[in-house]
Amino acid sequence: MMEKRVDPNLHRELKKFGADDLDVCFSCGNCTATCPLSGDDLAFPRRIIHFAQVGMTDKLRASVDPWLCYYCGECSESCPREANPGENMMAARRYLTASYDWTGLSKKLYLSITWEISAILAVALGVVALFYFFHGPIVTDRVELNTFAPVEWVHIGDLIMAGVLSFFLLTNALRMFYFVVKDSDVHIPFSLLVTQIPTFILHFATQKRWRECDDEDHMHWFKHLLLVSGYLTMLVLVLGLLKWFQTDEVYPFYHPQRLLGYYATAVLMYITVDFMIGRWKKNKEIHKFSHASDWIFLILLFLTAFTGILVNIFRVYGLAMPTYIIYVIHMAIAVPMLMVEVPFGKWAHLFYRPLAMYLYTVKQKAKEVAKKQKQAAAKAAKAAKASA
Amino acid sequence: MSDRRIGVFICHCGGNISDYVDVEKVKEEVAKEDGVVVAETPMFACSDASQQQMIDAIKEQNLDGLVVASCSPKLHLMTFRATAERAGLNPYRYVQVNLREQDSWAHRDDMKAATDKGIRLVKAGVARASLSDPLKQLRIETKPGVLVIGAGVAGLRAALALSDMGLAVTLIEKEKEVGGWTAGLGETFPNDRPGSELVSKLEKDVRSRDNITLFTECELVEKSGSIGDFNLKLQQSNGDTISINVGAIVVATGFDNYKPKEDEYGNGLDGVITLPEFKKMVDESTGPLVYKGKRVKTIAYIYCVGSRQAESELHPEPNTYCSRYCCSSTVHTAILANNLDPELNQYHLFRDMRTYGKYELLYEKAGRKGSVFVRFEENDPPTVEKQGKDLVVTTVDRLTGGDKIAIGADLVVLVTGMVPRENPKLVDVLKLPLGRDGFFNEIHPKLRPVETVIDGVFIVGVAQGPKSIAESVASALDGVAKSGALLLKGYVDLEPFIAVVDNAKCTWCGACAEACPYGAIEQVTLDGGKQVAQIVPSLCKGGGPCVPVCDQDAIEIKGYTNAQITATIDALIRKAM
Repeated sequence: MMEKRVDPNLHRELKKFGADDLDVCFSCGNCTATCPLSGDDLAFPRRIIHFAQVGMTDKLRASVDPWLCYYCGECSESCPREANPGENMMAARRYLTASYDWTGLSKKLYLSITWEISAILAVALGVVALFYFFHGPIVTDRVELNTFAPVEWVHIGDLIMAGVLSFFLLTNALRMFYFVVKDSDVHIPFSLLVTQIPTFILHFATQKRWRECDDEDHMHWFKHLLLVSGYLTMLVLVLGLLKWFQTDEVYPFYHPQRLLGYYATAVLMYITVDFMIGRWKKNKEIHKFSHASDWIFLILLFLTAFTGILVNIFRVYGLAMPTYIIYVIHMAIAVPMLMVEVPFGKWAHLFYRPLAMYLYTVKQKAKEVAKKQKQAAAKAAKAAKASA
Repeated sequence: MSDRRIGVFICHCGGNISDYVDVEKVKEEVAKEDGVVVAETPMFACSDASQQQMIDAIKEQNLDGLVVASCSPKLHLMTFRATAERAGLNPYRYVQVNLREQDSWAHRDDMKAATDKGIRLVKAGVARASLSDPLKQLRIETKPGVLVIGAGVAGLRAALALSDMGLAVTLIEKEKEVGGWTAGLGETFPNDRPGSELVSKLEKDVRSRDNITLFTECELVEKSGSIGDFNLKLQQSNGDTISINVGAIVVATGFDNYKPKEDEYGNGLDGVITLPEFKKMVDESTGPLVYKGKRVKTIAYIYCVGSRQAESELHPEPNTYCSRYCCSSTVHTAILANNLDPELNQYHLFRDMRTYGKYELLYEKAGRKGSVFVRFEENDPPTVEKQGKDLVVTTVDRLTGGDKIAIGADLVVLVTGMVPRENPKLVDVLKLPLGRDGFFNEIHPKLRPVETVIDGVFIVGVAQGPKSIAESVASALDGVAKSGALLLKGYVDLEPFIAVVDNAKCTWCGACAEACPYGAIEQVTLDGGKQVAQIVPSLCKGGGPCVPVCDQDAIEIKGYTNAQITATIDALIRKAM
């Protein structure tokens, strides 16, 4: 078999995605030794850094390891060369996100801040234009949001957006699946692919693996979980229950519509501000390095929640024009955030991480199956030999 | 009845000996021996007080032989010889008996037998001392001149330092130009000074000295005489010969670069070159490297080519040593190459990275500049082949658990080591011993690193073994120090344990001369016309292979005469008590 050639430019490529100190790594393995998540089959971060240094593109693309790291930063603290392995893993996740994306857009967005902002602005302007040209009658003596922006139409728009977004995200995830399974060193039985689906759901919902990081009070995991809960609540309200959520009637304070909305908003705002302060202060490893994509992600999420609550406040106080204007702004932030960040940006990790955990588990189980089959075959051969 | 007066001192060694050997019993038995007039058992024979006791005994009892039964002569032979000398006793009438390493320490389980053996050992010592003669060291007048062979960086530097000492130097170089390999080098590690610059500075200095005579295209063809007084014949390329008389010879003949075997790591393929060739390429480049008209984008280095080899079909006589300089030189050259072209990709396939000492910094720097280091196992080395037009190096990457990786390289650099320079004529003339690795062999790797078994001939630089330029120069100056110590004193004293020929018995068969590895035996004609063997005292090492080959018993070694050896054996096999 002819060996696959290494790509000597891979380390330069990774550097573009933020692995600035990749070259200084001398493969001592302290990072892997101190990592609470690495194990016999998971020799990261060292292996991933080594793939990048040597130029083993296929190996890197076929590896789920970067998604199994939650950036506790112990590796970066223990690195004798200050090569920042944790950030190299982060860069590898960005690189992988770009590699999975068949449109090539993700790479452009990651590597060029101009592209990123232009894309967000373009979608935002599109949203504004839609409202500008197609909004309903503007009632100013009282708030009639559903007259300005009829909920049926907005819901249809939401669903179209969700469909487009899911199409890109899922096709990209399929590529990830293909990269990982194609070069698998073990045969993967189809049955395992089905029976392990709960693994995906479990990790999607809980990010359970993060709890195994050495962070004592698991605070970061917990905050992130809160953020996820807020985000998912909002997603359900907007995608599934918009007709129930976007009403002109102002319900009492304790109504579930308002409580759920407040919960999601409070969590999203509190956590995003907390994370932004962390990135500003840089006192934790996970926040020491901030790529433009990290900031944009947090800022958009914060602004979405912030404008969302403003819509609610103006509505409750009966300020008609401000409600309509801020509603348009809210949409002009939320839509590009979802359209750009979910399939092509940092947000894709919500799908890739559980998928990685699922694929890793499938592979581990497949190895066990293969081992058992081998043992059984050896036993059978022995028995046949004995009977002969 | 012996008329000798011998003093015996049996040391307790603070219990090291007396815990297992009954030293009082030994003393009691030995005191009965013929000629023994003093027998004592000091606690520590080597202490100042005990030595004074010996001196007093020698003087008061008028002793003519001294035996100290203590530790290994390696430890205290010189101590007690000096003691004897201070008391006015000829130091060669002192005999040391090793009662510790060869008795008490070896037989802790059986005190009675150890005591019995101790008695025999001391009696044997007494027997030898009883037959000892006063001997005198051989004093040779030295000539204040030195021949330095080889005008590489080591030879040039040695010549200058010898000249500084006021010694006349003859510096000879086989090649047309001086400077050896160093002259051809650009920036060298660790401080980036070009080798050519080092050499031209040294050469200029050498040529300006009145007391250095430089001959190029010149070789040593004949040697006679010995330490302090060598008569040498030099031959120039035009056939002219020059005779010189010097006191010491410094051999700085350097090395050759290992030449990879046909097919070794793809040697012979287009794009496969050696480290010296690559170094030259880097030295001559002012921008990105170009090989045969094509810009070099990726380089793969393969380390340890020609060094640390195991015996195999390809290498029936392997170079098992490490060539020391190559790792450092390669990472340094990689840094230079990176300076020329920061986009250059460099893969270093190494076995063990030995950028020792300060050169470790170069290794680190190369890594930080993007050089990738991939380790390979000795028994699973990389392969180099052409795949279509491409040159591909394949190796097993141990850090990923044994994945095979293939590097498409524009250039494969075989990091070749140093090999001994073939110099059969010189080896023959100087009778220099070669080590198993083919480099000249020193007497002691730590304590006598430039001296050889041929007194007055020093080996310096890479001729002795692989070295960097800095180490080569240090070694050269070491040879200078030893030459200076020898020649500036004006004379040299040699141990008197040399062979003597009984002219009455000798019939000259030549067997002794054949047996002597130092060429210390000559055939001479006596006045009566009789042919006999004659010893050249300054060449004789007293090794003794001449003694047993003489069927006339006409030759023996002073201090180890036939009579002494026989008496020693007799004493050992006699009943102890």
